[in-house]
Amino acid sequence: MNKQLVHIKGTKAGLVLRLDDQCAYADLVEELERKVSEGGIDGKVDVQLHLGHRYLLEAQQKELIEIVQGPGNMHVSKVHSDVITIEESNEKVLSDQSETYIGIIRSGQIIKTDGDIVVIGDVNPNGKIEAGGSIFVLGNLRGIAHAGVKGNKEAIIVASHFEPTHVLIDDQIETMSNEKPFVKDNAEQIFAYINRDGIISYERVQEVRKIRPLLSTIKGGS
Amino acid sequence: MGVAIVITSGKGGVGKTTTTANLGTALALQGKKVCLVDTDIGLRNLDLVLGLDNRIIYDLVDVVEGRCKIHQALVKDKRVDEKLFLLPAAQTTDKNAVTPEQMKSLIDELKREYDFVLIDCPAGIEQGYKNAVAGADRAIVVTTPEISAVRDADRIIGLLEQESIEPPKLIINRIRKDLMKNGDSLDINEITTHLSIDLLGIVIDSEDVISSSNKGEPIVMDPNSKASLGYRNIARRILGESVPLMSIEDNSKGMFKKLISMFSK
Repeated sequence: MNKQLVHIKGTKAGLVLRLDDQCAYADLVEELERKVSEGGIDGKVDVQLHLGHRYLLEAQQKELIEIVQGPGNMHVSKVHSDVITIEESNEKVLSDQSETYIGIIRSGQIIKTDGDIVVIGDVNPNGKIEAGGSIFVLGNLRGIAHAGVKGNKEAIIVASHFEPTHVLIDDQIETMSNEKPFVKDNAEQIFAYINRDGIISYERVQEVRKIRPLLSTIKGGS
Repeated sequence: MGVAIVITSGKGGVGKTTTTANLGTALALQGKKVCLVDTDIGLRNLDLVLGLDNRIIYDLVDVVEGRCKIHQALVKDKRVDEKLFLLPAAQTTDKNAVTPEQMKSLIDELKREYDFVLIDCPAGIEQGYKNAVAGADRAIVVTTPEISAVRDADRIIGLLEQESIEPPKLIINRIRKDLMKNGDSLDINEITTHLSIDLLGIVIDSEDVISSSNKGEPIVMDPNSKASLGYRNIARRILGESVPLMSIEDNSKGMFKKLISMFSK
């Protein structure tokens, strides 16, 4: 067995461990343990694991990370694999999707999506939108809006007329009382997001490009 | 073949029964053959408002359960010559006594003989509501200029939009002109934009409505009342006429030009 199963490569950001994706898992573990125990690293170093086309169960992934971090001077910052399960893939497809609802969400009605949602119409009081991603309302938002339901803190809520009774992003909840002068005075075209302190805050829609630039899916305007 | 219209509101006490009685009478006065169906089983009122309570022999549940024929249960209103009939609700049982399927076949049977079948819906969104809506082709939502009534109307419109009936139309009932003028109650424009459905008409609040209900005479019989005019206008709009929206002021001009133009299209 001459083939090297673990390649170590140094980059600016730290070490990259390229693990062979053809050999048996047991062999990989063995070699990794040997390589790691050789040592020869001074100070703390950031490590990325590249798995290639190998799919690891969660327990296996944990095992590898523990092996690498065992000696104490290496820290695994990222595990990169070229493959995901069908389940993960389906989830990803759903959460990346943007759906469109045309109509009025009236009192007592709930609209749920896994990804983003665009509502063309109003959301009336006691009407509710739940989205895995962001919520965009082209109309009056007067009901309840819950974005990032499954833990997406990057999600935002945008409305042409922003006057909801409740704003929820991920696990944060805010009841809109009159004590929010910014929202009250600027109901036209503002959006809600979770700021760096983990609290829901509000800005004019023009600020989305600075606060959530990654939400943009197309670059352009040449 | 006639058309069945359900009159509903979600909230109680906004004037569904009064509206049903008055629209039915107004349509009958216009020469149409009308049957009013009270689906508020267990809490019947429509017979009282029409002053027909002492003439009831059989009721809706008797018909559904086959104890009598439909025409035996129908009560004729003698004031409107052979045009207005009432199918009263039962008082001794509850709303679960009939199913939506039974209601639908009952209404379908009535539609064959009558130009209009008006269904008075009970308050709420439970079994009684489902029964009332089952046989309807159209729906009229009654609300008042109060936030609670408008909120419930919104809910009921949402439910009606799930049914396979025409988009519901709105009646704003019990408008108090003094309150509306001062901005102390919701104004007509606010309500229609919020609910975003077509406005069928408005009815001014009037003490005559209460006294005439207590006497068992629908207010439309009295041509001098402003509330009566509201109901008559709505009946004419149901018949396809384009009638301008009445002003809530006594002698102002053009205050609701926008709304009027909506109807003169």
